[in-house]
Amino acid sequence: MTKFASLLFIAGLAFFLMVVTGLLPLGNSPMLIGNAILDSAKEQVGAANVVTSVVLAYRGLDTLGELSILFAAASAVGLLLTKSSFNKPSKNPTNTEESDSGFVAINGIDLIFPLLLVVGMYIISHGHLTPGGGFQGGVVLAIAFAMRSIVRPRGKSIDHGVVTFIEAFAGLSFIVIGLVALYTQGHFLQPMLDQGHFGSLWSAGTIPLLYLAVGLKVGAELAGLILALNTDEVNI
Amino acid sequence: MNHLILLVVLPLLSAFIIPVVAKHSLTISRLIGPVVLVFILALVVLSWNSVGSNGFAIFLGGFLPPVGIVFYIDHFSLMLSGLIAGMLLIVWPWNSYVAPRQYSLYMLLTAASFGLVLSADLFNLYVFYELLAVATYGLIARQKNPAAAVAALRYLFVSATGSAMLLLGIAIIYTLTGTLNIAHLATMTDQLHGLAGLSAFALIVIGAGVKAEMFLLNTWVPEVYSTIETPLAALLAGLISKLATVLIIRVLLMLFQQSEVLQMLLVVGVFGVISGEMVAWRAKDMLRMLSFSSIAQLGMIFIAFSIAGEVGLWIGLAMMLHHLLVKGGLFLLADKMQGSFDNLRGYAKRSAMAVAIFIIFILSLLGIPPFPGFWIKLMLILNLAEQNNTLYHYAIGFILLATVIEAAYLFKLVRYLFQDEEAATIVSTPKSLTFWYAQIFALVLLVSLAFISPISNRLKDMASQVANPDIYINTILPSHLSGGNP
Amino acid sequence: MLINISIEGLLYFGAISLSLIGLFGLLVSNNVFRMLLALVMFEAGANLILVLSGFRENGIAPIFLADYSGAIMNDPVPQALVLTAIVIGVGIQALALALILRVKKHYKSLDMRVIRSKLEHEIATQANVEPPGSHHAPKQIVRAGEHQ
Repeated sequence: MTKFASLLFIAGLAFFLMVVTGLLPLGNSPMLIGNAILDSAKEQVGAANVVTSVVLAYRGLDTLGELSILFAAASAVGLLLTKSSFNKPSKNPTNTEESDSGFVAINGIDLIFPLLLVVGMYIISHGHLTPGGGFQGGVVLAIAFAMRSIVRPRGKSIDHGVVTFIEAFAGLSFIVIGLVALYTQGHFLQPMLDQGHFGSLWSAGTIPLLYLAVGLKVGAELAGLILALNTDEVNI
Repeated sequence: MNHLILLVVLPLLSAFIIPVVAKHSLTISRLIGPVVLVFILALVVLSWNSVGSNGFAIFLGGFLPPVGIVFYIDHFSLMLSGLIAGMLLIVWPWNSYVAPRQYSLYMLLTAASFGLVLSADLFNLYVFYELLAVATYGLIARQKNPAAAVAALRYLFVSATGSAMLLLGIAIIYTLTGTLNIAHLATMTDQLHGLAGLSAFALIVIGAGVKAEMFLLNTWVPEVYSTIETPLAALLAGLISKLATVLIIRVLLMLFQQSEVLQMLLVVGVFGVISGEMVAWRAKDMLRMLSFSSIAQLGMIFIAFSIAGEVGLWIGLAMMLHHLLVKGGLFLLADKMQGSFDNLRGYAKRSAMAVAIFIIFILSLLGIPPFPGFWIKLMLILNLAEQNNTLYHYAIGFILLATVIEAAYLFKLVRYLFQDEEAATIVSTPKSLTFWYAQIFALVLLVSLAFISPISNRLKDMASQVANPDIYINTILPSHLSGGNP
Repeated sequence: MLINISIEGLLYFGAISLSLIGLFGLLVSNNVFRMLLALVMFEAGANLILVLSGFRENGIAPIFLADYSGAIMNDPVPQALVLTAIVIGVGIQALALALILRVKKHYKSLDMRVIRSKLEHEIATQANVEPPGSHHAPKQIVRAGEHQ
């Protein structure tokens, strides 16, 4: 009965939403700010990838807020799943060799690991030129560490203190770059520094620096999340 | 004036560094939060006079609107910022068992609250709303009580669904108009007043209504408030719910000022009042009663805001402040006075002071003269009666009915407090910091009695400033009226 | 004219269907992990609708390459917004997962009905009032649409 009522409700909502989207200008929406940004992004920000200009310059505060949300989630997960919040002692087996994933998986991951780091850093550092950037690269970095901790469930793939330090340092540098802009240029997160040769790696002023901070922050938060969820699995 | 962005940035900065600082010195990490809050409070007070009656806009990144994000600062948002900083200082956890990352979560909550009050960009508001939500989940789940994790999970499901709807509403508005700046949207309201625009508004109200304890979206309220520590409950019920209301009101005033929308708000408010009071009447313990009565009070605030124009706005503002003071005070008081009504039997003998404060709060809540609550309720009823619509007149009847129910259960509780026989299980007597704060809240309430007319004049000024979309548009988009296409 | 279905109409249809399937899952499932998966689908649908608002016919990615010759570009703003929204979603999902682990640990169950009645029971016991009904009969307590 509940299911039937829910199905009716959803069907009604579906019809309503279809009608509403029928009223929307699909495929040729007004794009008021979109066109303004496309026209001026080249001169104002100097990044070849306009999406990056929007993420880090026009809507930089959104990005800061989003990094804070990741930080809040990672902090909350860390608080929830640390060992101290569980009264039971962990049933961690003393033999660490037994739970490992075998020769092929471990050595394969060890082989890929440095390559993944390079790919991640490449994606981050070319965020203002190509599709990609801090978020995507940060996820690749976090996955590199996650894979190591998956094949060695008992081993320590990354130190918690290092993660804490990187996430604080990256967040700090993002805000400090913004504050320097506030006191030298007059506005928080205003683009600074020489824009360089358009389309080259050293261009777009502070944008690559900001994206590096974002990449490190995202990588550290996701690695921290995976680490916390992974250690707890042992306890349950 | 651009430095007022520090209101958002400084708490974020301190949240990021607290865990690292704590590795070296726990004491310093404990002090960072209060120091930042005091600094912000000073900043707010010092900038009060330099903000003119037209408000002030900060263009983030130096990009002229509408392309970038804009912060809009007027006396109303400065007052709310001051209240946020003050309230956070009051509920700041000084206990020794608090983990450093919990302080980080409190600072993130602060930053999100400031962002919600100041931002004039729809998507930016969504981001701060989510930050507020995630920090709240973390703080609720971290409570000593293991049931709090369950309450947090159930709250997360309701709230995250609401947030996705909010995002959907923003997506529809963006597709329709191609902009996100609220002032820019306010210049093209005729495009928004179709079916698509109104459904987007409905989605936004559903999304923000979860935190504003709106009718049908408030299943989380009793579970969360009865499992968390009372200072945090005071923060959530007193302040955070108001911020979500402010979000709804800003969007409503600027973009959807239509009589049908206002009537919808009225109906939702009436349902909230009636359902909240009915369930509160059946509650058998303190925290549950306070949570349901908080739902009813938020419903009353929605009724006030449903009156068109400045009048509704200033009554709603006065109600918000009054509820912040009274419900915040009651939750702080409940730090010691919690448990079932049976347990509170004969409490007057143990702490006459606590009971006296409790009675002051509930008299004002009910609207007994001469307490501030009376004047606010009187103004609300008088102005509802003046409306040219029978729907508003029915609302008066419901408000009076709700007041009777409220009086019935509150006086029932008072009778328990004054009974001769004492409860078998001893509830501890209040001696803590929270009790002192509750006393201060009561004192503020009594002192405000002497300043009712200056305070209401101030609120009227603020309301006329907030209710006027032209001021908002002129300040944020100066080029718009001079004819240039921004 | 009946077969005049445009590509963006189809895309919108898919995105709306995805989000409504998610909403339906949230309404009818009782397993908290399934509810989380349904929530993920709902958010994904909302994100798709958001990013579709920047779609232009024959538009190219908004990147000024060296050989750019003035073609129409897609709107860059929704792409940036959806990047933000996706990361926010990931944070919330991770937190929900941690909460589910905690709940499983505490109540030894993933059934929302069981969890809810045990929670009610626990709150009542803490406040020292009579618990509302027996927590062994979860079926009476459930109502439709309580997670809306």
